[in-house]
Amino acid sequence: MNEYNKPLPAINDENRPFWDGCRAHRLMMQKCRHCSHIRYPIQAVCPECLSEEVDWIVLSGRGEVLSRMVFHRAYHPGFKEDIPYNVVLVQLDEGPRIFSNVVGVDNAAVQVGMEVAVVFDDVTPEVTIPRFTPRLASSQ
Amino acid sequence: MMDLKNKAAICGVGASPQGRIEGSTAISLATEAFRRALDDCGLKKNDIDGLLTMPGTTSPEGVKHYLHLGEVLGINPRYTGSKFLGGGTAGVLIQEAAMAVATGMATHVACVFGDAAKSGNSRFAGAYGWGDSWGIWGMFSACANSAVSASRHMALYGTTSQQLGEAAAACRYHASLNPDAVMREPFTVAEHQASPWIVEPLHLLDCCLISDGGVCIIVTSAERARDLAKPVVPIRGMGQAHSTQMLELEDWWYVPHQKTAVDAAYKMAGVGPGDIDVAQLYDNFSMSILLWLEHAGFCERGEAGPFVEGGRIRLGGDLPVNTAGGNLSESYMEGWLHIVEGVRQLRGECGPRQVAGAETCLVTGRGMTLNCSNALILARD
Repeated sequence: MNEYNKPLPAINDENRPFWDGCRAHRLMMQKCRHCSHIRYPIQAVCPECLSEEVDWIVLSGRGEVLSRMVFHRAYHPGFKEDIPYNVVLVQLDEGPRIFSNVVGVDNAAVQVGMEVAVVFDDVTPEVTIPRFTPRLASSQ
Repeated sequence: MMDLKNKAAICGVGASPQGRIEGSTAISLATEAFRRALDDCGLKKNDIDGLLTMPGTTSPEGVKHYLHLGEVLGINPRYTGSKFLGGGTAGVLIQEAAMAVATGMATHVACVFGDAAKSGNSRFAGAYGWGDSWGIWGMFSACANSAVSASRHMALYGTTSQQLGEAAAACRYHASLNPDAVMREPFTVAEHQASPWIVEPLHLLDCCLISDGGVCIIVTSAERARDLAKPVVPIRGMGQAHSTQMLELEDWWYVPHQKTAVDAAYKMAGVGPGDIDVAQLYDNFSMSILLWLEHAGFCERGEAGPFVEGGRIRLGGDLPVNTAGGNLSESYMEGWLHIVEGVRQLRGECGPRQVAGAETCLVTGRGMTLNCSNALILARD
């Protein structure tokens, strides 16, 4: 088995709940206790009201593809075997946006507007990366 | 509020040779450009009392770049500093120079950039994200940021890769008329389509070059400029706007702050899109040209694809764009040469690529991860 050689998150006190959530197969983000804004990227203060008071909430993991890219260049050696691979910008139902990948279908099937749901990829014993898969009509 | 309209002017421009310049460094290229800009306007080195610089990708000094370049050039300025807003830096430094001149903080401000990006093998392949890097998901490179815009614009408005090819081919055609351009062989839209994918939906020929080169632009008061060697090019209007937030903004991919920047420049200048004779629009990727056309009001949101068809942005068309070839074909000087070309068009120095009777030019800049934007309205005196 090949060792995982792609970038991994630098886990610290600030982002640990996100990555612990992923390991437990839950997509979690920060919700401001003061103004209820759900934010991403992960940061210490709410960019809306500057409050540091936060609750980590579990998101539905549902969203929609806003933009779809297919990489034909490996800008990092870890992706050499993967090209062509897709990267998508996902609009999550609860408001935040995140870059990720759509797995389980050909790149050609990945389209802007596609409805997706989170899946969890356990890439190392310590790290699980959230990715997305097309949402079937029956599961909506 | 102080009215900055026409207070400052660009009096001198200079560019080093561009392309792959063996043995060059960021400092040597900036030095050559500085020398040429002095020659252009007839100023002496010791007339320069303001020095604003942008470190290149191969500049080890970072934000202390002004100190090193100033020492090399033997300048002890009244006003100085370095900024880095990527391709948005050039226009921002010109605006800062104009403010310094208008307020009396300096008399002649040299704005200088140099980079040995080609021979230094700079890749522009980094991953963004201050917290968790986007590289975790394979989201690398400046190209991919523009691919985010292109993918969504295509999906929402029916914009096509062929239309991006029209914009890129127009820049190359203009470069073919520019003896100083690095890439001068024209290509067709079919050839654009046949060029390899880099990050879909962008092909190789949608991407800018990577170049060695230096550029210097000297700003002084409009009054002082009239005593110097070349026709005066007043800065009639200027504006900037930046979105430091990215994923937090629903419309980040569309870079709507670019419209804020252009509108501010139009307002100061008292002009609108119908007054622009020639435009130098920042083009790290072809998609950027289309977005600027919409934000600058030459067409409506979503209409830039059809707008670039039929030679409209080529020399002889309604709105010639990037008449020296732009970042895509002249040289990747991160937008610095866009300002130089604007000045040269208004001076009437452009030979076969001259836009006849050009009196008003829009120059735009955009940098970092779709973050930083600015606009200048340059005009004949």
